[in-house]
Amino acid sequence: MPVPAYSFLLLSGVLFTMGAVGFLVRRNPLVVFMCIELMLNAVNLAFVAISRYLNSLDGVIFAFLVITVAAAEVVVGIAIIVQVYRAGRPMDVDDLDLMKE
Amino acid sequence: MVVGFAIVAAWEIVTAAGVVAFRKPIYNALSLVANMLGLAVLFLMLNAQFLFAAQVIVYAGAVMVLFVFIIALMNPESDVALPRRGSEWIYGAVFGVIFAALLVSLLFNRGLTGRPGTLTPEAIAAVGNVQTVGIALYTKFLFPVEVTSLLLLIAAVGAVYLAMRRIR
Repeated sequence: MPVPAYSFLLLSGVLFTMGAVGFLVRRNPLVVFMCIELMLNAVNLAFVAISRYLNSLDGVIFAFLVITVAAAEVVVGIAIIVQVYRAGRPMDVDDLDLMKE
Repeated sequence: MVVGFAIVAAWEIVTAAGVVAFRKPIYNALSLVANMLGLAVLFLMLNAQFLFAAQVIVYAGAVMVLFVFIIALMNPESDVALPRRGSEWIYGAVFGVIFAALLVSLLFNRGLTGRPGTLTPEAIAAVGNVQTVGIALYTKFLFPVEVTSLLLLIAAVGAVYLAMRRIR
């Protein structure tokens, strides 16, 4: 195998870190969601790489289930964001603290 | 193979930076589409053809169309209208460096210690990639698949309910 497994895992770690930084720094809820997708994708890459280099298929199945769960999560999350937008609140996660009170 | 991986890896990192850093949500979304297509190519390099198709159809297709539609419909002005705060990027960068260092040190201290299975690329190619994944999904992983289908149903009902309801 020409490409070592480490390179895939390293790329996965870098992508996950970038997603985590974006999740913490960005304030638009839609962009925060995209950063979550970035992190989920990075984990999928690690799953598939490990599954490939250990000659197993379990990681591929896990990644498939993660894709499904992410799709469900996006559907519900975007429905909530649209509701917040319709209520006329600002698109800023720092101002969405209604549940705190 | 190595050259191809290097190109796709650089593509992935650049587009991920685009997702994090662009100030207009539509650019973030388009960067994410590019990122997901690059990831599909990586899946192909890892001999996961079924996941390649699922990634392109579900993520780059369905999920990102949803994102782009919502951005087009709501036209949120994003962080552009918000006051800039430079300090959060500094904290974010510090966090990112520490987190990445932790991940890398973990990777190189532990390595891959799992017990190799029997499904080598040759064994998968003899049966067919989609066939192998399908057999695993509907025998060994039947219960998780059923639970996931229930989750999708709940998500669909919840999204319809949220879309119908008017909040004040």
